[in-house]
Amino acid sequence: MESDCLTPEWASQPCLIGIDEAGRGPVLGPMVYGCMYCPISYQSSLASLHFADSKTLKEEKREELYENLKLDKSLGWAVDVIDPRELSAKMLAKNKTNLNGISHNSAMGLIKRVLDMGVLLTEAYLDTVGDPEKYRIKLSERFPSIKFVVSKKADSLFPIVSGASIVAKVTRDRALREWLVEETGEDINRNFGSGYPGDPETKVWLVQHKHSVFGFPSLVRFSWGTCTTLLKGEVEVAWEADETEESGNGSSNKRQAKLSSFGFKTCDKRSEEIESSGKGRCKFFQARKIQQLTQF
Amino acid sequence: MGTIDLRAATDENSIADLSSQVHQLPCCIRFDGPADVSHFFKPQSSDVEIDGVRTEEAHFRGRKLQGATISLPSGYSGFVLGQASNLNANGKRKASMPAEENQCWEVKAKFDNLTYWNHDSLPSKDDTFLRSFHWFSIAEALHKPVKVEDLVAVSHCGKDKI
Repeated sequence: MESDCLTPEWASQPCLIGIDEAGRGPVLGPMVYGCMYCPISYQSSLASLHFADSKTLKEEKREELYENLKLDKSLGWAVDVIDPRELSAKMLAKNKTNLNGISHNSAMGLIKRVLDMGVLLTEAYLDTVGDPEKYRIKLSERFPSIKFVVSKKADSLFPIVSGASIVAKVTRDRALREWLVEETGEDINRNFGSGYPGDPETKVWLVQHKHSVFGFPSLVRFSWGTCTTLLKGEVEVAWEADETEESGNGSSNKRQAKLSSFGFKTCDKRSEEIESSGKGRCKFFQARKIQQLTQF
Repeated sequence: MGTIDLRAATDENSIADLSSQVHQLPCCIRFDGPADVSHFFKPQSSDVEIDGVRTEEAHFRGRKLQGATISLPSGYSGFVLGQASNLNANGKRKASMPAEENQCWEVKAKFDNLTYWNHDSLPSKDDTFLRSFHWFSIAEALHKPVKVEDLVAVSHCGKDKI
């Protein structure tokens, strides 16, 4: 989603871009990265639009500001909505990407999209994700023509980032509402609170919507520690990807240690339970994992 | 040694046809029993086609699965087996036969296709599961009775090469 597929008239003027995220911490719903950009010459007028960090604004005020900024011809915006299923899938993939990596990729994807539209970006403002200096270097290496400012509380320091945070927050809130309309079947209520793992209302909602085999509805981020804890004691599911980690050495050991503390039993028969190995048979059978069954 | 009673398989009406409802997942689910699968497991057709087979996408326990629905080779069928009921004519369990020792199986359902799923990799001809189908043609060749003509043909072949 973005302001306009057409390149704005002012695209060839030097422009600045602000990027911010909504829904990074919550255990449910999409994570949304939003950006706002405009000519540097317009920067002074930004302050008069009363953008503030989206978290400090009431929902109605955010919606109002969002509708206004969409009408402003001197502003451009775009969002990247990362579905909770995509977040879990990447964090639990065979080659795992952590949340910081996903966040970095999303922000860089937005910058690339705006550059590809033909907008001359010269300055970019972002909130910290991980180590600020490492992040700044990563961004500068990828986009050498842009001057990057990576700063804590960027959303309250720079109006362009405040604008981006409004775009991101409003998009996330709407996506959450739409998801609830789309999901059919079992009773799912809206009372999940803030979505943050520490929120008692969120905890109650998670427990209410837990399923012993499938875990949670698709809105929930399975890769969050809260989910692992809650599923302890439910039906155990063992994956080949985790199996390899256990026997492998080095970097991925940390995650495995965590898994075993959450009720993954170690037993000798385990690999054979996951799949037949064709052990002790001719290579043809081994390669195809075909086993002979004489007792059943 | 157990026995498998396939008689029900020949009667079209007596057992359920589970075609397009059988899934093989790349994980071990330590659970046996009914679950509301259709409500939670929602495969979607993807745009990717490999070797003429449309691939599908689904999620289970937060993992992304990529799969394909394949027909079983002609001449072969898939069966769901369950333990044959060890009840006597009066509907009472035969005292002499605890359930664990009952090794008689019978067909409860059948299927002629199934969907197999990979975790994080697209289905391909090289997947072990599809490669296990190679055994069908090899088994057929191995178990085919050898006729005199075959032997003659082979021995001629050998001579030609020399």
